[in-house]
Amino acid sequence: MILFDRVTKIYPNKSVALSGLNLHIQPKEFVTIVGSSGAGKSTLIKLMTREEVQTSGKIVVGGVDYDTIPLRNVPHLRRRIGVVFQDFKLLPNRNVTENVAFALEVGGVRSREIKRAVPKVLQLVGLTAKRNNFPAELSGGERQRVAIARALVRQPKILIADEPTGNLDPKNAWEIIDLLLKINRYGTTVLLTTHNKEIVNALKRRVITINRGRIVKDEQEGRYAV
Amino acid sequence: MIITFWRIFQAGLRNFLRNAWLSAAATAVMMVTLILMTFSFISNQALTHTIKSVTDKIDVSVYLLPTVTPDQANSFEQRLEATPNVASVSYVSQAQAVANYKSENANNPQLLQALDIAGGALPASIQIKAKDPTKLDAIAGVVNQPINKTLQDPSAPPSYSGNRKTTIDRIVHFSSFFKKISLVASIIFVVISILIIFNTIRMAIYTRREEIEIMKLVGATNWFIRGPFLIEAGLYGVIAAVLALLFCYGLLLSGASKLGNYIDISSTVTLFRHYPVVVVLCEVIAGIAIGVTSSLLALLRYLKL
Repeated sequence: MILFDRVTKIYPNKSVALSGLNLHIQPKEFVTIVGSSGAGKSTLIKLMTREEVQTSGKIVVGGVDYDTIPLRNVPHLRRRIGVVFQDFKLLPNRNVTENVAFALEVGGVRSREIKRAVPKVLQLVGLTAKRNNFPAELSGGERQRVAIARALVRQPKILIADEPTGNLDPKNAWEIIDLLLKINRYGTTVLLTTHNKEIVNALKRRVITINRGRIVKDEQEGRYAV
Repeated sequence: MIITFWRIFQAGLRNFLRNAWLSAAATAVMMVTLILMTFSFISNQALTHTIKSVTDKIDVSVYLLPTVTPDQANSFEQRLEATPNVASVSYVSQAQAVANYKSENANNPQLLQALDIAGGALPASIQIKAKDPTKLDAIAGVVNQPINKTLQDPSAPPSYSGNRKTTIDRIVHFSSFFKKISLVASIIFVVISILIIFNTIRMAIYTRREEIEIMKLVGATNWFIRGPFLIEAGLYGVIAAVLALLFCYGLLLSGASKLGNYIDISSTVTLFRHYPVVVVLCEVIAGIAIGVTSSLLALLRYLKL
Protein backbone atom coordinates (compact mmCIF):
# COMPACT_ATOMS: atom_id res chain seq x y z
CA MET A 1 0.00 0.00 0.00
CA ILE A 2 2.80 2.41 0.98
CA LEU A 3 6.39 1.87 -0.10
CA PHE A 4 9.35 4.12 0.65
CA ASP A 5 12.56 2.83 -0.91
CA ARG A 6 15.78 4.54 0.26
CA VAL A 7 14.03 7.91 0.39
CA THR A 8 16.14 10.95 1.21
CA LYS A 9 14.83 14.45 1.62
CA ILE A 10 17.19 17.39 1.90
CA TYR A 11 15.60 20.86 2.16
CA PRO A 12 17.07 23.84 0.29
CA ASN A 13 18.69 25.05 3.55
CA LYS A 14 20.71 21.77 3.48
CA SER A 15 18.93 20.26 6.48
CA VAL A 16 18.49 16.51 6.05
CA ALA A 17 14.92 15.52 7.05
CA LEU A 18 14.97 11.91 5.83
CA SER A 19 18.03 9.86 5.11
CA GLY A 20 17.71 6.68 3.02
CA LEU A 21 14.42 5.72 4.70
CA ASN A 22 12.89 2.32 3.88
CA LEU A 23 9.26 1.72 4.80
CA HIS A 24 6.65 -0.79 3.74
CA ILE A 25 3.06 -0.64 4.99
CA GLN A 26 0.54 -3.32 4.01
CA PRO A 27 -3.11 -2.61 3.10
CA LYS A 28 -5.51 -2.39 6.09
CA GLU A 29 -2.65 -1.97 8.57
CA PHE A 30 -2.88 0.44 11.54
CA VAL A 31 0.59 1.94 11.95
CA THR A 32 1.73 4.47 14.52
CA ILE A 33 4.79 6.58 13.76
CA VAL A 34 6.56 8.10 16.73
CA GLY A 35 9.61 10.28 17.07
CA SER A 36 10.78 13.46 18.71
CA SER A 37 10.14 16.84 17.09
CA GLY A 38 12.29 17.24 13.99
CA ALA A 39 12.74 13.46 13.63
CA GLY A 40 11.18 13.53 10.14
CA LYS A 41 7.52 12.53 10.78
CA SER A 42 6.03 15.62 9.16
CA THR A 43 8.34 15.34 6.15
CA LEU A 44 7.25 11.71 5.76
CA ILE A 45 3.60 12.81 5.61
CA LYS A 46 4.33 15.74 3.29
CA LEU A 47 6.05 13.34 0.89
CA MET A 48 2.99 11.06 0.94
CA THR A 49 0.63 13.95 0.10
CA ARG A 50 3.14 15.27 -2.44
CA GLU A 51 3.44 18.62 -0.66
CA GLU A 52 7.16 17.93 -0.85
CA VAL A 53 9.18 15.97 -3.37
CA GLN A 54 11.93 13.55 -2.29
CA THR A 55 15.53 14.40 -3.15
CA SER A 56 16.24 10.75 -4.01
CA GLY A 57 14.64 7.31 -3.66
CA LYS A 58 11.31 5.89 -4.70
CA ILE A 59 7.81 6.39 -3.27
CA VAL A 60 4.85 4.23 -4.30
CA VAL A 61 1.45 4.81 -2.64
CA GLY A 62 -1.65 2.82 -3.60
CA GLY A 63 0.17 1.44 -6.61
CA VAL A 64 1.10 4.90 -7.91
CA ASP A 65 4.79 5.60 -8.45
CA TYR A 66 5.19 9.25 -7.46
CA ASP A 67 7.98 9.77 -9.98
CA THR A 68 5.57 9.13 -12.83
CA ILE A 69 2.71 11.46 -11.87
CA PRO A 70 2.69 14.85 -13.57
CA LEU A 71 2.17 17.95 -11.42
CA ARG A 72 -1.35 18.51 -12.73
CA ASN A 73 -2.45 15.11 -11.39
CA VAL A 74 -1.31 15.80 -7.82
CA PRO A 75 -4.79 17.08 -6.75
CA HIS A 76 -6.32 13.79 -7.97
CA LEU A 77 -3.74 11.89 -5.94
CA ARG A 78 -4.62 13.91 -2.82
CA ARG A 79 -8.29 13.04 -3.23
CA ARG A 80 -7.34 9.38 -2.75
CA ILE A 81 -5.57 10.01 0.56
CA GLY A 82 -7.44 11.31 3.59
CA VAL A 83 -5.43 13.58 5.89
CA VAL A 84 -6.32 14.81 9.38
CA PHE A 85 -4.27 17.44 11.24
CA GLN A 86 -3.78 18.52 14.82
CA ASP A 87 -5.30 21.96 14.12
CA PHE A 88 -8.33 20.45 12.29
CA LYS A 89 -8.10 22.86 9.32
CA LEU A 90 -11.83 23.44 9.00
CA LEU A 91 -13.45 26.32 7.09
CA PRO A 92 -14.79 28.56 9.87
CA ASN A 93 -17.56 30.11 7.78
CA ARG A 94 -19.07 26.78 6.75
CA ASN A 95 -21.12 24.47 8.91
CA VAL A 96 -20.32 20.81 9.59
CA THR A 97 -22.23 19.49 6.59
CA GLU A 98 -20.71 22.11 4.26
CA ASN A 99 -17.18 21.41 5.53
CA VAL A 100 -17.55 17.71 4.77
CA ALA A 101 -19.30 18.34 1.45
CA PHE A 102 -16.47 20.68 0.41
CA ALA A 103 -14.11 17.72 -0.04
CA LEU A 104 -16.51 16.28 -2.62
CA GLU A 105 -17.33 19.61 -4.25
CA VAL A 106 -13.72 20.27 -5.25
CA GLY A 107 -13.67 16.88 -6.98
CA GLY A 108 -16.69 17.76 -9.13
CA VAL A 109 -19.02 15.24 -7.43
CA ARG A 110 -22.70 15.82 -8.23
CA SER A 111 -24.86 17.53 -5.59
CA ARG A 112 -27.23 14.58 -5.40
CA GLU A 113 -24.35 12.25 -4.59
CA ILE A 114 -22.98 14.69 -2.00
CA LYS A 115 -26.37 14.84 -0.28
CA ARG A 116 -26.34 11.05 -0.04
CA ALA A 117 -22.72 10.58 1.11
CA VAL A 118 -22.35 13.34 3.73
CA PRO A 119 -25.08 12.20 6.20
CA LYS A 120 -23.66 8.66 6.11
CA VAL A 121 -20.18 9.75 7.07
CA LEU A 122 -21.53 12.15 9.73
CA GLN A 123 -23.39 9.22 11.24
CA LEU A 124 -20.16 7.18 11.24
CA VAL A 125 -18.31 9.87 13.23
CA GLY A 126 -21.35 10.54 15.46
CA LEU A 127 -22.05 14.12 14.41
CA THR A 128 -25.51 13.85 12.86
CA ALA A 129 -27.01 16.04 15.60
CA LYS A 130 -24.41 18.76 15.01
CA ARG A 131 -24.61 18.79 11.21
CA ASN A 132 -25.76 22.44 11.06
CA ASN A 133 -23.30 23.81 13.63
CA PHE A 134 -20.29 25.92 12.71
CA PRO A 135 -16.76 24.90 13.84
CA ALA A 136 -16.70 27.65 16.50
CA GLU A 137 -19.73 26.01 18.16
CA LEU A 138 -18.01 22.61 18.50
CA SER A 139 -15.60 21.13 21.04
CA GLY A 140 -12.06 20.15 20.02
CA GLY A 141 -13.02 16.48 19.77
CA GLU A 142 -16.05 17.28 17.63
CA ARG A 143 -13.97 19.46 15.31
CA GLN A 144 -11.51 16.63 14.85
CA ARG A 145 -14.38 14.29 14.04
CA VAL A 146 -15.55 16.75 11.37
CA ALA A 147 -12.01 16.69 9.93
CA ILE A 148 -12.06 12.87 9.96
CA ALA A 149 -15.49 12.86 8.29
CA ARG A 150 -14.15 15.19 5.60
CA ALA A 151 -11.17 12.90 5.04
CA LEU A 152 -13.38 9.80 4.91
CA VAL A 153 -16.20 11.05 2.71
CA ARG A 154 -14.20 10.35 -0.43
CA GLN A 155 -13.64 6.78 0.78
CA PRO A 156 -9.85 6.89 0.67
CA LYS A 157 -7.80 3.72 0.92
CA ILE A 158 -5.35 5.49 3.23
CA LEU A 159 -6.06 7.82 6.16
CA ILE A 160 -3.16 9.82 7.53
CA ALA A 161 -3.74 11.29 11.00
CA ASP A 162 -0.98 13.77 11.89
CA GLU A 163 -1.07 14.31 15.68
CA PRO A 164 -4.89 14.21 15.69
CA THR A 165 -5.08 14.13 19.48
CA GLY A 166 -2.48 16.85 20.11
CA ASN A 167 -5.05 19.51 21.02
CA LEU A 168 -7.50 17.25 22.85
CA ASP A 169 -8.12 16.21 26.45
CA PRO A 170 -7.66 12.45 27.24
CA LYS A 171 -11.37 11.62 26.93
CA ASN A 172 -11.73 13.28 23.51
CA ALA A 173 -8.34 11.88 22.45
CA TRP A 174 -9.51 8.35 23.12
CA GLU A 175 -12.77 8.95 21.26
CA ILE A 176 -10.75 9.96 18.21
CA ILE A 177 -8.47 6.91 18.50
CA ASP A 178 -11.52 4.64 18.84
CA LEU A 179 -12.93 6.23 15.70
CA LEU A 180 -9.66 5.63 13.81
CA LEU A 181 -9.68 1.98 14.94
CA LYS A 182 -13.27 1.64 13.71
CA ILE A 183 -12.32 3.14 10.33
CA ASN A 184 -9.39 0.70 10.16
CA ARG A 185 -11.72 -2.22 10.86
CA TYR A 186 -13.77 -1.16 7.81
CA GLY A 187 -10.64 -1.71 5.69
CA THR A 188 -8.87 1.67 5.52
CA THR A 189 -5.11 1.75 6.09
CA VAL A 190 -4.47 4.17 8.98
CA LEU A 191 -1.19 5.97 9.55
CA LEU A 192 -1.07 7.77 12.89
CA THR A 193 1.65 10.05 14.19
CA THR A 194 1.51 10.95 17.87
CA HIS A 195 3.50 11.98 20.93
CA ASN A 196 0.97 10.39 23.29
CA LYS A 197 2.81 7.56 25.04
CA GLU A 198 -0.29 6.21 26.78
CA ILE A 199 -2.19 5.85 23.50
CA VAL A 200 0.71 4.18 21.67
CA ASN A 201 1.24 1.65 24.45
CA ALA A 202 -2.45 0.85 24.77
CA LEU A 203 -2.99 0.37 21.03
CA LYS A 204 -0.72 -2.68 20.75
CA ARG A 205 -0.31 -2.13 17.01
CA ARG A 206 2.70 -1.73 14.74
CA VAL A 207 4.90 1.15 15.92
CA ILE A 208 7.65 2.72 13.80
CA THR A 209 10.12 4.95 15.60
CA ILE A 210 11.96 7.57 13.60
CA ASN A 211 15.05 9.43 14.68
CA ARG A 212 17.10 11.87 12.63
CA GLY A 213 15.39 10.85 9.41
CA ARG A 214 15.92 7.11 9.84
CA ILE A 215 13.77 4.26 11.16
CA VAL A 216 15.38 3.12 14.37
CA LYS A 217 12.72 0.67 15.50
CA ASP A 218 9.83 -1.13 13.76
CA GLU A 219 7.80 -3.51 15.98
CA GLN A 220 4.50 -5.30 15.25
CA GLU A 221 3.18 -4.73 18.77
CA GLY A 222 5.35 -1.81 19.69
CA ARG A 223 5.60 0.56 22.60
CA TYR A 224 6.42 4.23 22.81
CA ALA A 225 10.18 4.60 23.14
CA VAL A 226 11.55 8.01 22.12
CA MET B 1 -17.12 20.39 -15.93
CA ILE B 2 -20.27 22.54 -15.73
CA ILE B 3 -20.71 21.61 -12.05
CA THR B 4 -17.11 22.60 -11.34
CA PHE B 5 -17.48 25.92 -13.19
CA TRP B 6 -20.72 26.65 -11.38
CA ARG B 7 -19.04 25.95 -8.01
CA ILE B 8 -16.09 28.20 -8.91
CA PHE B 9 -18.56 30.92 -9.89
CA GLN B 10 -20.47 30.55 -6.62
CA ALA B 11 -17.22 30.76 -4.64
CA GLY B 12 -16.20 33.89 -6.56
CA LEU B 13 -19.58 35.51 -5.91
CA ARG B 14 -19.38 34.58 -2.22
CA ASN B 15 -15.90 36.12 -1.95
CA PHE B 16 -17.10 39.25 -3.73
CA LEU B 17 -19.95 39.72 -1.25
CA ARG B 18 -17.82 38.77 1.76
CA ASN B 19 -15.33 41.58 1.01
CA ALA B 20 -18.08 44.09 0.29
CA TRP B 21 -16.00 47.21 1.05
CA LEU B 22 -12.92 46.14 -0.83
CA SER B 23 -15.10 45.03 -3.73
CA ALA B 24 -16.92 48.38 -3.73
CA ALA B 25 -13.64 50.32 -3.81
CA ALA B 26 -12.20 48.22 -6.63
CA THR B 27 -15.46 48.48 -8.59
CA ALA B 28 -15.56 52.28 -8.13
CA VAL B 29 -12.04 52.76 -9.49
CA MET B 30 -12.80 50.46 -12.38
CA MET B 31 -16.00 52.43 -13.04
CA VAL B 32 -14.08 55.73 -13.24
CA THR B 33 -11.63 54.09 -15.64
CA LEU B 34 -14.40 52.77 -17.86
CA ILE B 35 -16.20 56.16 -17.84
CA LEU B 36 -12.97 57.82 -18.93
CA MET B 37 -12.43 55.22 -21.64
CA THR B 38 -16.01 55.62 -22.86
CA PHE B 39 -15.78 59.42 -22.94
CA SER B 40 -12.46 59.21 -24.66
CA PHE B 41 -14.13 57.06 -27.31
CA ILE B 42 -17.21 59.29 -27.56
CA SER B 43 -15.23 62.52 -27.81
CA ASN B 44 -12.89 60.98 -30.34
CA GLN B 45 -15.76 59.93 -32.51
CA ALA B 46 -17.67 63.18 -32.03
CA LEU B 47 -14.64 65.33 -32.82
CA THR B 48 -13.78 63.30 -35.90
CA HIS B 49 -17.36 63.60 -37.04
CA THR B 50 -17.52 67.34 -36.27
CA ILE B 51 -14.32 68.06 -38.16
CA LYS B 52 -15.57 66.03 -41.09
CA SER B 53 -18.89 67.87 -41.22
CA VAL B 54 -17.15 71.26 -40.95
CA THR B 55 -14.56 70.48 -43.58
CA ASP B 56 -17.24 69.09 -45.87
CA LYS B 57 -18.63 72.60 -46.04
CA ILE B 58 -15.32 74.05 -47.13
CA ASP B 59 -14.94 74.81 -50.80
CA VAL B 60 -13.16 77.18 -53.11
CA SER B 61 -15.25 79.56 -55.21
CA VAL B 62 -13.70 81.08 -58.34
CA TYR B 63 -15.77 83.91 -59.82
CA LEU B 64 -15.73 84.20 -63.60
CA LEU B 65 -15.96 87.24 -65.87
CA PRO B 66 -19.34 87.66 -67.62
CA THR B 67 -17.51 87.30 -70.93
CA VAL B 68 -16.34 83.71 -70.25
CA THR B 69 -17.98 81.24 -72.62
CA PRO B 70 -19.28 77.85 -71.42
CA ASP B 71 -16.43 76.17 -73.38
CA GLN B 72 -13.80 78.21 -71.58
CA ALA B 73 -15.45 77.45 -68.24
CA ASN B 74 -15.57 73.77 -69.18
CA SER B 75 -11.86 73.59 -70.00
CA PHE B 76 -11.07 75.44 -66.74
CA GLU B 77 -13.14 72.78 -64.90
CA GLN B 78 -11.20 70.00 -66.63
CA ARG B 79 -7.87 71.52 -65.64
CA LEU B 80 -9.09 71.70 -62.05
CA GLU B 81 -10.38 68.11 -62.07
CA ALA B 82 -6.92 66.94 -63.11
CA THR B 83 -5.45 68.57 -59.99
CA PRO B 84 -4.61 66.34 -57.03
CA ASN B 85 -6.71 66.85 -53.86
CA VAL B 86 -9.78 67.91 -55.84
CA ALA B 87 -12.87 65.99 -54.83
CA SER B 88 -15.39 67.64 -57.13
CA VAL B 89 -15.80 70.64 -59.44
CA SER B 90 -19.11 72.22 -60.37
CA TYR B 91 -20.09 75.16 -62.55
CA VAL B 92 -22.68 77.64 -61.25
CA SER B 93 -24.09 79.87 -63.95
CA GLN B 94 -25.17 83.48 -63.37
CA ALA B 95 -28.84 82.53 -63.31
CA GLN B 96 -28.15 79.62 -60.94
CA ALA B 97 -26.13 81.93 -58.64
CA VAL B 98 -29.03 84.39 -58.44
CA ALA B 99 -31.50 81.56 -57.77
CA ASN B 100 -29.23 80.11 -55.04
CA TYR B 101 -28.82 83.53 -53.45
CA LYS B 102 -32.56 84.13 -53.42
CA SER B 103 -33.38 80.78 -51.89
CA GLU B 104 -30.62 81.05 -49.27
CA ASN B 105 -31.80 84.53 -48.21
CA ALA B 106 -35.52 84.12 -48.68
CA ASN B 107 -36.11 85.24 -45.11
CA ASN B 108 -33.93 88.32 -45.32
CA PRO B 109 -35.57 91.06 -47.38
CA GLN B 110 -32.65 93.45 -46.86
CA LEU B 111 -30.21 91.09 -48.54
CA LEU B 112 -32.68 90.46 -51.35
CA GLN B 113 -33.00 94.21 -51.77
CA ALA B 114 -29.22 94.53 -51.91
CA LEU B 115 -29.21 92.17 -54.88
CA ASP B 116 -31.68 94.37 -56.69
CA ILE B 117 -29.57 97.47 -55.96
CA ALA B 118 -26.53 95.62 -57.43
CA GLY B 119 -28.44 95.17 -60.66
CA GLY B 120 -29.91 91.73 -59.93
CA ALA B 121 -26.88 89.92 -61.31
CA LEU B 122 -24.25 87.70 -59.71
CA PRO B 123 -21.11 86.37 -61.39
CA ALA B 124 -20.97 82.80 -62.63
CA SER B 125 -18.55 80.69 -60.61
CA ILE B 126 -16.75 77.40 -60.35
CA GLN B 127 -17.16 75.63 -56.99
CA ILE B 128 -14.29 73.33 -56.02
CA LYS B 129 -14.47 70.81 -53.17
CA ALA B 130 -11.14 69.59 -51.82
CA LYS B 131 -10.42 66.08 -50.58
CA ASP B 132 -8.31 67.50 -47.77
CA PRO B 133 -9.53 71.03 -47.04
CA THR B 134 -6.47 71.80 -44.95
CA LYS B 135 -4.21 71.55 -48.02
CA LEU B 136 -5.47 73.91 -50.69
CA ASP B 137 -2.08 75.00 -52.08
CA ALA B 138 -2.25 72.79 -55.21
CA ILE B 139 -5.73 74.06 -56.04
CA ALA B 140 -4.64 77.68 -55.49
CA GLY B 141 -1.69 77.00 -57.84
CA VAL B 142 -4.01 75.97 -60.68
CA VAL B 143 -6.47 78.81 -59.99
CA ASN B 144 -3.65 81.33 -60.19
CA GLN B 145 -2.17 80.02 -63.48
CA PRO B 146 -2.20 82.87 -66.05
CA ILE B 147 -4.43 80.92 -68.44
CA ASN B 148 -7.05 80.59 -65.71
CA LYS B 149 -6.47 83.99 -64.15
CA THR B 150 -7.66 85.75 -67.33
CA LEU B 151 -11.06 84.12 -66.96
CA GLN B 152 -11.60 85.40 -63.43
CA ASP B 153 -13.37 88.52 -62.28
CA PRO B 154 -10.60 90.75 -60.87
CA SER B 155 -13.08 92.54 -58.62
CA ALA B 156 -14.09 89.26 -56.91
CA PRO B 157 -10.99 87.27 -55.91
CA PRO B 158 -11.33 83.51 -55.29
CA SER B 159 -12.89 82.72 -51.94
CA TYR B 160 -11.17 80.05 -49.91
CA SER B 161 -14.13 79.13 -47.77
CA GLY B 162 -14.63 82.58 -46.45
CA ASN B 163 -11.29 82.55 -44.61
CA ARG B 164 -12.47 79.82 -42.23
CA LYS B 165 -9.31 77.85 -42.88
CA THR B 166 -7.48 79.27 -39.87
CA THR B 167 -10.36 78.42 -37.55
CA ILE B 168 -10.59 74.92 -38.98
CA ASP B 169 -6.87 74.44 -38.59
CA ARG B 170 -7.27 75.40 -34.95
CA ILE B 171 -10.13 72.92 -34.45
CA VAL B 172 -8.09 70.13 -36.05
CA HIS B 173 -5.11 70.99 -33.89
CA PHE B 174 -7.21 71.15 -30.71
CA SER B 175 -8.98 67.87 -31.43
CA SER B 176 -5.75 66.00 -32.08
CA PHE B 177 -4.39 67.41 -28.80
CA PHE B 178 -7.61 66.44 -27.00
CA LYS B 179 -7.50 62.93 -28.47
CA LYS B 180 -3.95 62.47 -27.21
CA ILE B 181 -4.84 63.78 -23.72
CA SER B 182 -7.89 61.53 -23.42
CA LEU B 183 -5.87 58.52 -24.57
CA VAL B 184 -3.13 59.22 -22.02
CA ALA B 185 -5.72 59.77 -19.24
CA SER B 186 -7.43 56.47 -20.14
CA ILE B 187 -4.13 54.59 -20.09
CA ILE B 188 -3.19 56.12 -16.72
CA PHE B 189 -6.53 55.11 -15.22
CA VAL B 190 -6.31 51.59 -16.66
CA VAL B 191 -2.92 51.24 -14.95
CA ILE B 192 -4.34 52.62 -11.66
CA SER B 193 -7.27 50.19 -11.90
CA ILE B 194 -4.96 47.27 -12.54
CA LEU B 195 -2.81 48.22 -9.55
CA ILE B 196 -5.79 48.61 -7.21
CA ILE B 197 -7.39 45.33 -8.25
CA PHE B 198 -3.98 43.68 -8.07
CA ASN B 199 -3.74 44.81 -4.44
CA THR B 200 -7.32 43.83 -3.63
CA ILE B 201 -6.72 40.31 -4.89
CA ARG B 202 -3.37 40.20 -3.12
CA MET B 203 -5.12 41.03 0.17
CA ALA B 204 -7.80 38.46 -0.58
CA ILE B 205 -5.12 35.80 -1.15
CA TYR B 206 -3.55 36.74 2.18
CA THR B 207 -6.81 36.66 4.16
CA ARG B 208 -7.83 33.38 2.56
CA ARG B 209 -4.48 31.63 2.86
CA GLU B 210 -5.89 29.11 5.34
CA GLU B 211 -8.83 28.36 3.09
CA ILE B 212 -6.45 27.92 0.16
CA GLU B 213 -4.37 25.49 2.20
CA ILE B 214 -7.51 23.47 3.02
CA MET B 215 -8.56 23.47 -0.62
CA LYS B 216 -5.17 22.06 -1.58
CA LEU B 217 -5.41 19.52 1.22
CA VAL B 218 -8.73 18.14 0.03
CA GLY B 219 -7.46 17.85 -3.54
CA ALA B 220 -8.72 21.01 -5.27
CA THR B 221 -7.08 21.57 -8.63
CA ASN B 222 -5.05 24.75 -9.09
CA TRP B 223 -7.75 26.29 -11.28
CA PHE B 224 -10.41 25.45 -8.72
CA ILE B 225 -8.39 27.53 -6.25
CA ARG B 226 -7.54 30.36 -8.67
CA GLY B 227 -10.94 30.47 -10.37
CA PRO B 228 -12.90 32.29 -7.62
CA PHE B 229 -10.30 35.10 -7.57
CA LEU B 230 -10.71 35.56 -11.33
CA ILE B 231 -14.50 35.48 -11.05
CA GLU B 232 -14.33 38.04 -8.25
CA ALA B 233 -12.23 40.43 -10.35
CA GLY B 234 -14.42 39.74 -13.39
CA LEU B 235 -17.45 40.75 -11.32
CA TYR B 236 -15.79 44.09 -10.50
CA GLY B 237 -15.50 44.57 -14.27
CA VAL B 238 -19.10 43.61 -15.09
CA ILE B 239 -20.66 45.77 -12.37
CA ALA B 240 -18.33 48.71 -13.12
CA ALA B 241 -19.14 48.42 -16.84
CA VAL B 242 -22.91 48.54 -16.26
CA LEU B 243 -22.62 51.51 -13.86
CA ALA B 244 -20.21 53.35 -16.17
CA LEU B 245 -22.55 52.86 -19.14
CA LEU B 246 -25.58 54.07 -17.21
CA PHE B 247 -23.62 57.17 -16.19
CA CYS B 248 -22.33 57.86 -19.71
CA TYR B 249 -25.71 57.18 -21.30
CA GLY B 250 -27.50 59.50 -18.89
CA LEU B 251 -24.94 62.25 -19.34
CA LEU B 252 -24.90 61.89 -23.11
CA LEU B 253 -28.68 62.05 -23.43
CA SER B 254 -29.12 64.92 -21.01
CA GLY B 255 -26.28 66.88 -22.60
CA ALA B 256 -27.00 65.98 -26.23
CA SER B 257 -29.17 69.01 -26.96
CA LYS B 258 -26.69 71.48 -25.41
CA LEU B 259 -23.59 69.84 -26.81
CA GLY B 260 -25.19 69.58 -30.22
CA ASN B 261 -24.59 73.27 -30.79
CA TYR B 262 -20.83 72.84 -30.50
CA ILE B 263 -19.91 69.36 -31.57
CA ASP B 264 -21.65 66.71 -33.60
CA ILE B 265 -22.52 63.84 -31.22
CA SER B 266 -25.33 62.47 -33.35
CA SER B 267 -23.25 59.49 -34.51
CA THR B 268 -22.49 58.49 -30.90
CA VAL B 269 -26.10 58.87 -29.81
CA THR B 270 -27.12 56.75 -32.81
CA LEU B 271 -24.58 54.09 -31.81
CA PHE B 272 -25.96 54.00 -28.25
CA ARG B 273 -29.57 53.89 -29.44
CA HIS B 274 -29.31 51.42 -32.29
CA TYR B 275 -26.61 49.04 -31.04
CA PRO B 276 -27.11 48.89 -27.25
CA VAL B 277 -26.09 45.22 -27.11
CA VAL B 278 -22.79 45.90 -28.91
CA VAL B 279 -22.07 48.90 -26.66
CA VAL B 280 -22.84 46.93 -23.45
CA LEU B 281 -20.80 43.94 -24.68
CA CYS B 282 -17.77 46.08 -25.52
CA GLU B 283 -17.91 47.84 -22.16
CA VAL B 284 -18.36 44.58 -20.21
CA ILE B 285 -15.55 42.88 -22.13
CA ALA B 286 -13.25 45.84 -21.39
CA GLY B 287 -14.17 45.67 -17.69
CA ILE B 288 -13.67 41.90 -17.47
CA ALA B 289 -10.35 42.17 -19.35
CA ILE B 290 -8.97 44.76 -16.92
CA GLY B 291 -10.23 42.84 -13.85
CA VAL B 292 -9.10 39.40 -14.93
CA THR B 293 -5.69 40.63 -16.12
CA SER B 294 -4.87 42.29 -12.80
CA SER B 295 -6.21 39.34 -10.83
CA LEU B 296 -4.14 36.94 -12.91
CA LEU B 297 -1.02 39.04 -12.31
CA ALA B 298 -1.66 38.97 -8.54
CA LEU B 299 -2.27 35.19 -8.60
CA LEU B 300 0.93 34.51 -10.54
CA ARG B 301 2.87 36.71 -8.15
CA TYR B 302 1.40 35.72 -4.78
CA LEU B 303 -0.46 32.41 -5.06
CA LYS B 304 2.11 29.66 -5.09
CA LEU B 305 0.37 26.33 -5.52
